[in-house]
Amino acid sequence: MKAIKRKILIVSGKGGVGKSTMSSQLAMGIAHFGSKVGVLDVDICGPSLPKLFNCEDYQIVSQEWGWIPAISNGVSVMSVAFMLPNRDSPVIWRGPRKTNIIIRFLKDTYWGKLDYLLIDTPPGTSDEHLSTISSLKNVKVDGAVIVTTPQELALDTIRREITFCQKMNVTILGIVENMSGYVCPCCDEISDIFSTGGAEELANEFDIPFLGKVPLDPSVVQLCDTGKTIWETENQYSDSIKNIIDNIEIEINKIQ
Amino acid sequence: INLFWCGQDMLRWIAKRKPYPHQKRLIQYAYSADSFQSKKHEFEKLKQGKRKEASAPTKGRLTNMKHIIPIASGKGGVGKSTTAVNIALSLAAQNLTVGLMDADVHGPSIPTVMNLKGKKAIVENQKIQPLMNFGIKCMSTGFLVDEDKAMIWRGPMVIGAIRQILTSVEWGELDYLIIDLPPGTGDASLTLAQEVEIDGVVIVSTPQDLALADVSRGVQMFNTVNVPILGVVENMSYHICENCGNHSHIFGDSGAENMAKNMNLQFLGKIPLHQNIRETTDKGQPIVVSQPKSQFTQAYNSIAMNIIKYCTNK
Repeated sequence: MKAIKRKILIVSGKGGVGKSTMSSQLAMGIAHFGSKVGVLDVDICGPSLPKLFNCEDYQIVSQEWGWIPAISNGVSVMSVAFMLPNRDSPVIWRGPRKTNIIIRFLKDTYWGKLDYLLIDTPPGTSDEHLSTISSLKNVKVDGAVIVTTPQELALDTIRREITFCQKMNVTILGIVENMSGYVCPCCDEISDIFSTGGAEELANEFDIPFLGKVPLDPSVVQLCDTGKTIWETENQYSDSIKNIIDNIEIEINKIQ
Repeated sequence: INLFWCGQDMLRWIAKRKPYPHQKRLIQYAYSADSFQSKKHEFEKLKQGKRKEASAPTKGRLTNMKHIIPIASGKGGVGKSTTAVNIALSLAAQNLTVGLMDADVHGPSIPTVMNLKGKKAIVENQKIQPLMNFGIKCMSTGFLVDEDKAMIWRGPMVIGAIRQILTSVEWGELDYLIIDLPPGTGDASLTLAQEVEIDGVVIVSTPQDLALADVSRGVQMFNTVNVPILGVVENMSYHICENCGNHSHIFGDSGAENMAKNMNLQFLGKIPLHQNIRETTDKGQPIVVSQPKSQFTQAYNSIAMNIIKYCTNK
């Protein structure tokens, strides 16, 4: 754990706002710009990262210095999905067992030297979050990035998430507004399907940095489903991700 | 021996052989991973060398509720709460008595969607009174706790809250209880599945592969705990452009419909992605109530009719 320079939690109040997608895109972006990055999937009941990185069939290799993560698109990936017998097995575990596997992941995975470790959490404020943060107590988490969609229903849950981070003494690096705006491919009309701007207002209200907006792009959905990287072409989406990575870097440097 | 990873038979074998005190503690810890309390008597009997067959937990039948329909999904953010509320309201429009229970303890959405944000539940005659709006009764932890308090609860507390909402709320006689489950296969879904007699689960998903992987896990979980699956709803199926009416499949095309066919599950219907649904939900004026003539309301109505058909044919 000490060989990792920066550890960032990716959290959200609500499910389905695009945490895992955001974690994978940020990780691939950071790798694209030359840093060493790893992602840890702490979402035990719904591990999405292996699919996003197209490494679902990876079997964990255990060496004397720990578990070796999968490597895809320049990113080291570790997820509980690698331990399941087949990709459709449900993980019906109660709290204590989930806690234990998370502790083992954090202790036993051999990441090597990393510049960034992104930790993709399940939505909300549950067992997994508590365990992750308490087991990382000795090795401090540098901060949390809150992902949300602009709609009211998602913003409500952010307040709880912010309170949670403050209670757990986790610095909030900022808020990312995902699925902000959709451009109709045939008439270029911009629809605010999930509304827009709400996250920025909330960030100002709580005096938290606003890291950026990310649009809803169907081609990204397709790429994610097949585990490919978006960085082969430059477009609005990749620009917005780059913007967020830059802002995260700025915020971390401010704290240190 | 790493006792934590031992199977039940191994643990029994060790327990039978008069373990040392430190081993006893380790066995207890291993058992605690799967509700030690319920196995404690079994463990005690084992210590005396007697065997006891573990009995399957009996599911309770809540007599005041005719049909219990949880709305589940493998993945978060597919639109469970929006769908649950609109289905509940569609059923209510058929002159049925409907209750809506928010089992999502960490992120309760029902108060916002039902326009009851900031309201608190009152206790009368030692029972919690459900809040009413648009003709249905609803209850959520959102009515019991302040809006900005983070619900940092571990499993047992979540289970306790679910049990309380089921039994200590004055629901009265209900034709249907719609339960808005949290995403995934966590404590809330498991508790409900194991302790309550469920008519059938409605699974909501978006068409994309990423959601479907989680859905099939959810389906397997319900199969494992013997809960029947009513059917699958494909939400955010396609986006209808306001300007040109173009249908674009943002999250993929018919992914959930195909999966339902492959898994031999009934397909209940598609709901398109449209600003109107989100806007009305955010304002707390669900579309079934605020725009009863719209095509989206019709989509929810047809799903409600399928649910009624399923329940009356059982």
